[in-house]
Amino acid sequence: MTVRNALEVATTTDAGVVRPFNEDAVATELDLGLAIVADGMGGYKAGDVASGMAASIMVEELKRQLHASAADSPARILHDAAGKANQAIFQAARANSQYHGMGTTLVTALFHDNHVYFTHVGDSRLYRLRHGRLTVLTQDHSILHEQVAQGLISSDDAKTSHNRNLVTRAIGVEPEVELETQQQEVETGDIYLLCSDGLNDMVDDADIELALTALQANLPLTARQLVMLANDNGGHDNISVVLVKILKPFPAAEPGKGLLNRLFGWLK
Amino acid sequence: MAKLVLSLDGDMLGHHFIAQDRFSIGRKPHNDMHIDDSSVSKEHAVILTIGNDQVLEDLGSTNGTLVNGNIIRKHILQNNDVIEIGRYQIRYMNQKAQPGMDFDRTLMMAPIHRQRKAHGNAETQDVEPADKALSVARAANANFPLGGVKVLEGAHAGQTLELSRPLATFGKSGVQVAVINRRPHGYTITHVEGRKRPLVNLRPIDEKSHALQEGDEIEVGGEKLVFFLKQ
Repeated sequence: MTVRNALEVATTTDAGVVRPFNEDAVATELDLGLAIVADGMGGYKAGDVASGMAASIMVEELKRQLHASAADSPARILHDAAGKANQAIFQAARANSQYHGMGTTLVTALFHDNHVYFTHVGDSRLYRLRHGRLTVLTQDHSILHEQVAQGLISSDDAKTSHNRNLVTRAIGVEPEVELETQQQEVETGDIYLLCSDGLNDMVDDADIELALTALQANLPLTARQLVMLANDNGGHDNISVVLVKILKPFPAAEPGKGLLNRLFGWLK
Repeated sequence: MAKLVLSLDGDMLGHHFIAQDRFSIGRKPHNDMHIDDSSVSKEHAVILTIGNDQVLEDLGSTNGTLVNGNIIRKHILQNNDVIEIGRYQIRYMNQKAQPGMDFDRTLMMAPIHRQRKAHGNAETQDVEPADKALSVARAANANFPLGGVKVLEGAHAGQTLELSRPLATFGKSGVQVAVINRRPHGYTITHVEGRKRPLVNLRPIDEKSHALQEGDEIEVGGEKLVFFLKQ
């Protein structure tokens, strides 16, 4: 598999300092170029069920679809998989009173053919470090994000907001969930960070950027240090971090475009 | 439910509960809090409820709106804030609006545009990047003295560097690098890359992070540093 050798991945998840349980779920599937973070919510330990279901359903669906002979576009596959996860969690929540009201955020990145395809729901994020600059590629589906985006409060005031815990979209809470997928070309040397809000609520973007830039030679250490920074700043929530570093290009193998075909095409 | 206590020169005049999404304060009688006084504008200020936040907004009043002595245009109300409108003081009381109380469990809520349709207040302005907003500066390291290193040998010999950020790396990229972390209980050093581990007082540090003491000598990637704490 070309994508496996083109990526380096490091993963950490931690309950944080305050919460008794870790209700985040992380999953990576290197052969597929897949990385997932989900941040569960809901009653006693139900959040754990929701985030775990979301991660495993995404992995299973993507495995099945990407290996199918007539595979859809990666964006379509991501979209459909997230839709399936939504239905399954919604139904489980309805069928079992213990799980009533459970749901989860989700951020999924699929690395395929020199691109990253991603979808997110809620306030889990995807960041990219490129040439030492950190950019957030996802816009939170949260009340706080909307308050700032609509100019109802300033971004400075947001620090004193009490809406940090209110998401406007989640997986598994309603029968249908609004989904959008995006795609971007990757560059060798890029580092992608998927995280739950336990990281970015506790650690400034400037410090995330510093850690990714300064420590990237040791990706597992970078992931551990990000969690450490969040815990040193209070660790109020579960913290999950998945880092994906692009080591080299990973063009998709095009069926019927072997060496002979390419030669032939060139001669034509 | 949030409560507003109205007073004038220390005498309590009454209280109001904020039950509506838009709670208005002004001299005109239709206001939710009606203050019949010439120091108060007809439509003086409004409190908008969005999620857990109650945002106080001045409506371009003649004498302005103050919170805890500072003039504001918009302000997210915090428990025990004192609002000044004209000659009057209004204390905002809401146990749920405490700094640091915003770490409740995640809940889902309808987006703002759906909620706000009801009162047709769809103003859009000053679009700012929210990513800046969402990160929170915390002074967790405030209690421990600030540290630094004096560079004895290497490219930066003679320099003194303050270690004010949560981490700083030293050494030579691709050869040998170590990170010094500023943590709540002090400074630590950890090996980042290179076959050999950095030396502290001539001894290689182990796999884990190593706590730094005043005067420790560090050797990493051709640099020699002395760690110190500012008194």
